[in-house]
Amino acid sequence: MDAEIYIDNNSFIHRLDPRVKIIIFLLTFVAILLFQDPLWMLPITVLIVIQLVASGALVNMRRIRYILIVLTVSSMILWNIFSSGDTKLFWIVSVQSLTYAVSRTMLMILMISTGMILITSTRNEELVNGMIRLGMPYRVGFAISTALRLVPTIVTSTVTISQAQRSRGLDLESGNLLEKLKKFLPLLVPVFISSIRNTNIFGMALESKGFGASEKRTFYLDFQMKKADYVVLAFSILFMLVSIYFAVMGYGKIEGLIRS
Amino acid sequence: MSEPIVSIRDLKYRYRGQKSLALQEINLALEQGEFLMLMGPSEAGKSTLAATINGLIPNFHIGKLGGDVVVMGRNTKDYSVAQMAEIVGMVFQDFEAQLFSTNVELEVAFGPENFAVPREEIKTRIDENLEYVGLEGFRNRPPSTLSGGQKQKLAIASVLALKPQVLVMDEPTTDLDPISKMGVFEITHRLCKRDDLTLLIVEHETEEALFADRIALIKEGQLIKVGPTREILTDVALMESLGVMPLGIPKFFKAAGVSELPLTPDEGVETFKSLKFQINDLAYQEMVAREKAKLEQLNEPLIQCQNLSHTYKGEVEALKKVNIEIHRGDMVAIIGQNGSGKTTLAKHFNGLLLPTEGEILVNGKPTREQGIFALGKSVGYVFQNPDHQIFSEKVFDEVAFSPRIRKLPEEEVKQRVSEALTAVGLEGLEEEDPFTLTKSGRQRVAVASVLASNPDVLILDEPTTGLDYSEQSSMMNMVRRLNENGSTIIFITHHMWVVAEYAKRALVMKDGDVILGGSTREVFSQSEVLRDAFLRPPHFVEFTRRLGYTFLTPAEMEACLEGAHS
Repeated sequence: MDAEIYIDNNSFIHRLDPRVKIIIFLLTFVAILLFQDPLWMLPITVLIVIQLVASGALVNMRRIRYILIVLTVSSMILWNIFSSGDTKLFWIVSVQSLTYAVSRTMLMILMISTGMILITSTRNEELVNGMIRLGMPYRVGFAISTALRLVPTIVTSTVTISQAQRSRGLDLESGNLLEKLKKFLPLLVPVFISSIRNTNIFGMALESKGFGASEKRTFYLDFQMKKADYVVLAFSILFMLVSIYFAVMGYGKIEGLIRS
Repeated sequence: MSEPIVSIRDLKYRYRGQKSLALQEINLALEQGEFLMLMGPSEAGKSTLAATINGLIPNFHIGKLGGDVVVMGRNTKDYSVAQMAEIVGMVFQDFEAQLFSTNVELEVAFGPENFAVPREEIKTRIDENLEYVGLEGFRNRPPSTLSGGQKQKLAIASVLALKPQVLVMDEPTTDLDPISKMGVFEITHRLCKRDDLTLLIVEHETEEALFADRIALIKEGQLIKVGPTREILTDVALMESLGVMPLGIPKFFKAAGVSELPLTPDEGVETFKSLKFQINDLAYQEMVAREKAKLEQLNEPLIQCQNLSHTYKGEVEALKKVNIEIHRGDMVAIIGQNGSGKTTLAKHFNGLLLPTEGEILVNGKPTREQGIFALGKSVGYVFQNPDHQIFSEKVFDEVAFSPRIRKLPEEEVKQRVSEALTAVGLEGLEEEDPFTLTKSGRQRVAVASVLASNPDVLILDEPTTGLDYSEQSSMMNMVRRLNENGSTIIFITHHMWVVAEYAKRALVMKDGDVILGGSTREVFSQSEVLRDAFLRPPHFVEFTRRLGYTFLTPAEMEACLEGAHS
């Protein structure tokens, strides 16, 4: 089974310099946080959707659709509980709290999307390389890439393990959520144990290939900023400045929102 | 004599938390360009010894080390593993976990990058080493899409890119299928011809030891014997006593009272003829006829596949119109390369997979109508890796899992658990934590936990992989006992000697098709078809084929032998 997150489809976004992609990733995070009003979040949403489609990251979003649905539902409920406003609609829901819940849910999904775009379109090594060239220590960068690398391994072993347990009569399909969860727990033990064992061998293999042998290190991957990179970067910064301007001017707030 | 490349002096080692020594009083020297094969039973300290050479012991594992390991003047106590990596390369058994890059090129680049090798030079080394292992066409592929054998080749290339003087490989082929094994061995055969590279390989395949200069036998942390290859391989008694698989050919001639023991099929045929040995034709024919009559008695169909096809995700055609029948009471081996469809076929037997076309009947009813839960009562499936299914803290709970989930009364659960544990030879270990058992112990727990639901059919996916010779024998003896007591056994394996010794019937798979099926003897007599499926019968069978017969074990052949003066 193919559980890789990186999708090698060489889109425009794939070809951008990883440094540019990391900067855009960070800028996007800020842009998402600037406004409370979902309408004001629309421009950045459009940009993210375009990137999602262009990079092919939609495939990965589909894979995590259940997580996204759970997050959306719980966020819609929680933000209505924890915020309120003057214009009551029904029960605890007011126009303000509903709007805010929508905007916070968007925030979450957008942040996940940005992250997904980055790791769908950037190889692990490119990501580390980009971070290091932006000033991050090599070991920190490597740690991040290792964490990302673990995801596919864990997914693959979960699939095998759940097949093994189903063969022994474990019925994972029926029952309500709580019952399903209870049945799923036994699966976690072998998943964790095999992950830990893998990590141990990974560590040995890493050192055996000279990881950290000398202070200096070559990077085989090489990239140069191209014209497209500068254009995209300039556009992003411009977009960011405009957004900040409007936010500072007080636009994009929800009138009458009370957060508890 | 020049200074040895690797010298190990009075080495002893104890892992933290262990009472006994994992290695004791090891003294060993490796000359430049030498190829030493390290063999021994499980838990003998093979991997531990291998790990001392590049300094993983004492620098990575925690424990107490005595004595010295010096490689090219560097004492491993004074250098980090990463620093040793320049001169000692290490390839591990687990080919999944040792690769971590997103494409083949970068995997090879990783080592040289760490030593700040200039970019141009790294490029040359990538080209050279990918060509050396035959992966030049895969440069931009993610390692996860490669086959097991290709992954192991990539691991070798990525280590060779560091230009080490010593290469240590810890069971590089144990988890591979025969064709991938051959691919990796082919590389090691080229490597051992190089004078500038010293090789130390831990290996279970005795037939491969023929290529080594010397063999070291290890047991319970001590070197039992180190000597030239021929000297060790002809010491059949010593190898058997250590639980290392002896070669069939010297074993046969030794039993026949020959003193100059041949090793290879060529030598075997020569010795056989020069000593004027003869096979009693009548005895042979009788044996074959007896076997045939026995197999014909098994005729009650249990599993029937009719034009069974399976296509993954509407794209990959994993099974193509398979038509086979498995009879009650049979013991069938399914053999073939990885990707030939063995596991896909077996997963249809218990309903884990359903045919995309065609039909499969178990006990006369389509699996589609029975469902995996109901089928699980009559068809048990033991997965390849026991660690994928064990999760309880006690052996008892693990084995009781299936009966309990089927809501049997606790009294019956107890009885079933005790029967299952007795069957696998683990009685009395009910309260143990399964994770503290050895691999073969865990494998037995996995078998017991499937047996506890009293299945008629037991499917075992590679039950002997990762076990040493004596563990393999005792595992298969246990499986054979289950078969004699009425269970139908279907097992997938890469170990041809296990097929020769234990299977009544064999199915050969290639590209999703069963290309050959019949009694094990018939199957092994079809050398061309086997070669076509990239399978190789054991040396011993090949030797008897050259004499015009198909004997599966030395014992069978002895029974038909004439002219020996034992």
